[in-house]
Amino acid sequence: MSALPAEDLSPEVAAVAASGLSKRFGPVVAVDRVDLRVEPGTVCGLLGPNGAGKTTLLRLLLGLVRPDAGRIEFFGRRPAPAPGLCGVAGFVEEPRFYPYLSARQTLQLFARLDGSDPQGRIDELLDLVGLEQKAADRRVGGYSTGMRQRLGLAVALLASPRLLLLDEPTTGLDPTGAREMRAVLARLAAEGVAVLLSSHDMDAVADICTTVTVLLSGRVVWDGTMDRLQAEAPAPEYRLETSDDARALAQSSSQPGVRAHEDGAGGLLVAAEREALDAFVLALGSEGIAVRRLAEVASSVEAMFLALTGGTAR
Amino acid sequence: MSELQATAAAGPSGRYETRWPSVWAVSRFETAKLLAQWPTRILPLVCVLAPLAFAAILRIQSGVPQDTLFGSWVHTSGFAVALVILSFAGAWGFPVIAGVVGGDMFSGEDRLGTWKTVLTRSCTREEIFLGKAATAFVYTVAMVLLLGAASILAGVLATGTQPLVGLTGQTLGSGHAAALTVASWGVSLLPALGFTALALLISAVTRSSAAGMLGPLLAALAMQLFGLIGSGDIVRALLLSTALDAWNGMFAAPAYTRPIEWGAVISLAYVLGCLVIAWLNLRQRDVAGAGSEVRGWGRQLRVLAVAVGLVALLGVVGNLGTTSITDGKLDRSIALTFANLTALQQTDLGRHVPAGSHLDDSAICSRQGVHHAYRGPGDNWLCTIYVPRLSNGLTQVNYDVTVKPNGCYTAEGPETFIGPLTIHRRNGPPIVNPLFRFDGCFEVAP
Repeated sequence: MSALPAEDLSPEVAAVAASGLSKRFGPVVAVDRVDLRVEPGTVCGLLGPNGAGKTTLLRLLLGLVRPDAGRIEFFGRRPAPAPGLCGVAGFVEEPRFYPYLSARQTLQLFARLDGSDPQGRIDELLDLVGLEQKAADRRVGGYSTGMRQRLGLAVALLASPRLLLLDEPTTGLDPTGAREMRAVLARLAAEGVAVLLSSHDMDAVADICTTVTVLLSGRVVWDGTMDRLQAEAPAPEYRLETSDDARALAQSSSQPGVRAHEDGAGGLLVAAEREALDAFVLALGSEGIAVRRLAEVASSVEAMFLALTGGTAR
Repeated sequence: MSELQATAAAGPSGRYETRWPSVWAVSRFETAKLLAQWPTRILPLVCVLAPLAFAAILRIQSGVPQDTLFGSWVHTSGFAVALVILSFAGAWGFPVIAGVVGGDMFSGEDRLGTWKTVLTRSCTREEIFLGKAATAFVYTVAMVLLLGAASILAGVLATGTQPLVGLTGQTLGSGHAAALTVASWGVSLLPALGFTALALLISAVTRSSAAGMLGPLLAALAMQLFGLIGSGDIVRALLLSTALDAWNGMFAAPAYTRPIEWGAVISLAYVLGCLVIAWLNLRQRDVAGAGSEVRGWGRQLRVLAVAVGLVALLGVVGNLGTTSITDGKLDRSIALTFANLTALQQTDLGRHVPAGSHLDDSAICSRQGVHHAYRGPGDNWLCTIYVPRLSNGLTQVNYDVTVKPNGCYTAEGPETFIGPLTIHRRNGPPIVNPLFRFDGCFEVAP
């Protein structure tokens, strides 16, 4: 159910436009003068370390907490007292439901709450989010985190939203489930739905997001398109273990496009683009230095994130 | 208020008004949830089975619940059974129903962490609040009516539809007694809703289901204690427990209904007051925000402190105001009741009582061992009833009387004068001696 006419979905109108949004909990500034814009048909990734204010920002947008200052517009209009009335849906943190109801009953109940007729739609949604019929008739109280995430998405989609706000939607999902979730979100975006998702999964962000906003201590420290982020991102970082790390480190200094330093845990940390890394590995081989282990520890997106937020690679 | 709050409240085209179809949708949503949970699912069953079980127990034993109004008459009229159950229900049953129905209504969402799911749908907080409150009230009404119907049915099945002895000793015909019994249950609906509103308030403010479910019961207990220990009319008039006694006046002769009117006002005040505070609490709160994520007992302790403070305050002011229980009212009431019950006793014994005849007795009552000997509730009243002899002159009989703050009393007389607990009609079964121990009520303020 939505209160907005279809003509409001013109590409010029942002699905969500927030400016100067602030929220303080006691002495803690959770969100500090945040500006945010998400266009229809795009997926925006909200990145930031724990406590950066991602979830609070989503809560503000969903109307769960009241802002201390700032302005929000959904599709060019001021927000209604309920997100569903603006064509907005989503969840924050782990979605929670009534444990004594099954997924099917939950969907029927929330459809009833929205005043919509769920006939036929429930099976379609259960199928879309990958909840099998058998599981759909089981009580939600016995669901795993991943199953609740799937049901959370189904409940959010029940109202056919035009803006989807999701807080770490792939948490608790197995790799296949996470890939399916990303595929669903990409499909929704292709159909014109705007998606704003917070995530720690850099691969997921790089995979499906068209724009990225990075938060640190409640403030936006970077925002732009994914293409721009990748262009500005430093080289990905790898952990390298060789038969002779000292000689390998010496060799790196003469290798163009390669920066290496000793890793405290033994081995080297190497920052290089793929081509430069290939050349470095070949050079090590020609010097008689065996490569015993080479693993990516930070993709370029992750490296950018770490650079912006002052974090360190795992 | 920030710009966003102001604009959110105003909406795109001015003020956002409550959409009643949405309130109805929330109500259906809540009803479905109630019917899916075992406590609210078994509640209707308890409301039906408990009166039937009570009546069955009464039927197989000869004793009667003498401490309750109409308790002496449970083997005489089925309507007395329904009224005894109403007295129990008013004291304990309605608070339990309120706790089960309303105590989890708001705090259940906190317990399950589902506020963030419910509040991100198409219904506004106002609509959700109204829908939840309406569901709790409708469910309460349904349970009270079910309990009332089951009680009347149980009484009729166990004892029958015989006439009922009223609270002035007068005999009420079966039809009249049935109508008054139904009306008594109806009158008790509003105070029952007052308890439900209290449960909703506790649920919303404490965000604890345990507090929401037990709170109304504790409040009822506290109110009963105030009703017993406080002698002033002011605090007593403000208690829901007083409103639950309001039906008593319908069974007196002449009947008095002012307590019913006042009880309705007080019950509505509880409903509105509790709902307004609960709504302000829900409207202002940040849901799932860092502030609301704080765990611990801080909130519950604050609410408990307020409740204890309120109880202490009521305890201190419990004796404020004058008491409208006076010797004059008791004199008139007990003399009239004694006269009516004497006629009833004689009829029960098979003696002829001429139509329209009336014992021209009088009574003088006073309290023993207290400074204010002519007013106030207590178990130390002594009433001397002067009964005219056939051969001129008067004989007197003393009754020990316990007067409750609500104006109802229990009088116990000497066996040597009025006979034993059970008396025998010639060639008939034993029957309760109506003069041995009897109840009555007179009107007190408000």
